[in-house]
Amino acid sequence: MTTTSGAKPDRVDVCIIGAGASGAAAAKVLTERGLRVVALERGPWRTKETFGGDELANINRYNLWPDPLLNPRTVRDSASGETRTELFCPVPQMVGGGTVHWQGWLPRFTENDFRLRSIVGDLPGTTLADWPITYDELEPYYTQVEWAFGVSGAAGANKYESWRSKGYPCPPMPQSRYAQKFHQGCDKLGWNSFPTPQAALSQPYNGRPATVISAFAQQHGDPTGTRSSALNVFVPDAVATGRYDLRPDCYVREITVDSRGAAKGAVYQDATGTTYEQEADVVILACGAVETARLLLLSKSAQFPNGLANGSDLVGRNVTFHEYSAAVGTFDDPIYAWAGGGYVSASSFEFYEHDDNRGFVSGGHMAVAGVGIPLPINWSLPNRPAWGAGAKQMDREYFNHSLAAAMVVHDMPQHDNRVALDEEVKDAWGLPVAQITLTPHQNDLAMGRFLIDRSAEILEAAGATSVQKVYIDRITGNCSHQHGTTRMGNDPDTSVLDRWCRSHEVANLYVVDGSPFPTGTGANPTLTIMANAWRVAEHIADGRAATS
Amino acid sequence: MQDTFFDPHQRATVQAAMARIIPTDDTPGATEAGTVDFVDRYLSGVDFIYAKPDGSGFEQLTGLRRDAWRQRIDIIREVYVKGVTQLDTAARERHAREFVNLEPGQQDEILRDLEKPYQQQEAELERARATLYGAPVEPALQQTSAEIDLGFVPLLALHTRQGFYADPIYGGNRNRIGWDVIGFPGPASLAEVFNGTYSTLEYFAEDREHPIRKDPS
Repeated sequence: MTTTSGAKPDRVDVCIIGAGASGAAAAKVLTERGLRVVALERGPWRTKETFGGDELANINRYNLWPDPLLNPRTVRDSASGETRTELFCPVPQMVGGGTVHWQGWLPRFTENDFRLRSIVGDLPGTTLADWPITYDELEPYYTQVEWAFGVSGAAGANKYESWRSKGYPCPPMPQSRYAQKFHQGCDKLGWNSFPTPQAALSQPYNGRPATVISAFAQQHGDPTGTRSSALNVFVPDAVATGRYDLRPDCYVREITVDSRGAAKGAVYQDATGTTYEQEADVVILACGAVETARLLLLSKSAQFPNGLANGSDLVGRNVTFHEYSAAVGTFDDPIYAWAGGGYVSASSFEFYEHDDNRGFVSGGHMAVAGVGIPLPINWSLPNRPAWGAGAKQMDREYFNHSLAAAMVVHDMPQHDNRVALDEEVKDAWGLPVAQITLTPHQNDLAMGRFLIDRSAEILEAAGATSVQKVYIDRITGNCSHQHGTTRMGNDPDTSVLDRWCRSHEVANLYVVDGSPFPTGTGANPTLTIMANAWRVAEHIADGRAATS
Repeated sequence: MQDTFFDPHQRATVQAAMARIIPTDDTPGATEAGTVDFVDRYLSGVDFIYAKPDGSGFEQLTGLRRDAWRQRIDIIREVYVKGVTQLDTAARERHAREFVNLEPGQQDEILRDLEKPYQQQEAELERARATLYGAPVEPALQQTSAEIDLGFVPLLALHTRQGFYADPIYGGNRNRIGWDVIGFPGPASLAEVFNGTYSTLEYFAEDREHPIRKDPS
């Protein structure tokens, strides 16, 4: 065990590791139910005054992204493959986490997402599994999160969405020109499209003003504080209870256990380098699926020699990341895809559900956006030369005339795709970094090809003058979505957590980020991550109330 | 405060090379936008890494973050110093002159040759992946870039682009030249974004309402 140097802080009811989407959601629920919570967040607690409309700082200079020199990861294509050091699937490490810099596409999963294994049967090479919970069980929490955030959307506009107990609290965001092209293309093809539900306010809500329609939004923090994020919503709610002790710049090195094998607390280092042990009755991990797995694997003890809660050797396995790619189109009329930041969008679930006739399993969320980050420095087209007169000409002709009909690939879980520790590479705190081993399944590539072909058809139907398909050839981690490393299930031999996201092996240890997801599904995960965190937090609070 | 890095010859050479990356034609190029000022100040140390969000100056970095930037700037400086030497070596071998004194076409040729090893490396990696997975190879969208992994010419191209298009507070994009060339109506200053008065709503569709087509069934 790591030795501590600082005085022992008071024991609390719950210690949450991480204050991003899931950790802050859980903190809000637990503190509002009267529990005392300490949150240990490795990154800073930044206020809106530290965010700005600065493409260079935010996209190119790690103002919000983790600095790869301090937080490297390594990745390899297979267990025998060569290891590369790479900023694989980064997520901002700070209070609010990924919700600080997102534009927040917040679709719900569908009923079938929770039972895909039952629908499609065995898919060789994968560990496809049903979820131990159903859509019906999660539905009330989807509604809670949507109404806490003030999600802007139109109930029923997605004809493939599952039932909902309540509509959206705010009408859709205004229609961008790129959203309009997408609707026009889908309409011509007879496909359903809908305004993408977003973590932004189309009108004032709950005392918050409507969201400012800046160009500096996707991958930028919000200096106006008007977008919806864990930082702007859940953290203030939890702080208002007086029971949320949020400690930023506190890096957790290990989860400790007591002699009975229960989680005892967290050993962490603060900004001055002093090390403390925070004890709690319940420990919740909310670090994101990569860092949660890493922390469990780092937490070795006599009772858990292979890492905490890892008697099954499943911690870190079955990791999925999604992959984002697109068909890219150019148009004669101006698109201004930077307007709103490039992601005030329209979507389609036309090819989301599984269809046996397609030759692959499942499907994915299609949506329109700018090309990459559609701001001057980082905008590009797939065939633009790196420099010279030709590059300049393409910037001039197409910067305002291009968009991406994009999709999210639902990559399949595989036993050998995993997060492990890389003992050869240490981070700036001297601990082994996460090593990602990842081979795409043929199903991932086939799905990507199919969805991008459909995206290209939308662009053609919308009158694009040129269309380029950017097929995927591997999973690059470019979504900042992470799931599956401590999958939940009813069988301790095939899962790490039970249906309440509690460790099968450690009775007071929970995980509430994307790690519990048995499958990644084809939709953006954060709404479901927050809804599930809310569900688990309610369950923990119910249990405490019953025993006290 | 030190705000430059290059010696006069290095600066002139980088400026000449940048003029080939974004050439001047009927519209302004790297030279007019002052992209060399941008990179010269970037490489001067760690005092100009992040502008303050309200545009009132630059952040003072501390702790691990400062250490990481110090390390990164040292790596990038070395790439530039070696790169300038390589440009001159190639120029002398072929034309018995320094790079700055060559014709634009000759400069392009040298830049292209210097770029080749990186391009070949990338092509081989992509071929390997194509063989492994049987898929066509295209770059993934929305990837964050790692500057310190780039060779000289790709790095120069990246910095020229940054100096042409970044907010003018960073020393390039003089008089918003870069933004004007491509028609980007950027904010008057960082302060305009910071205080919430910068909006791009007027560039949305004229019909602000999404068409909602609910299935009658």
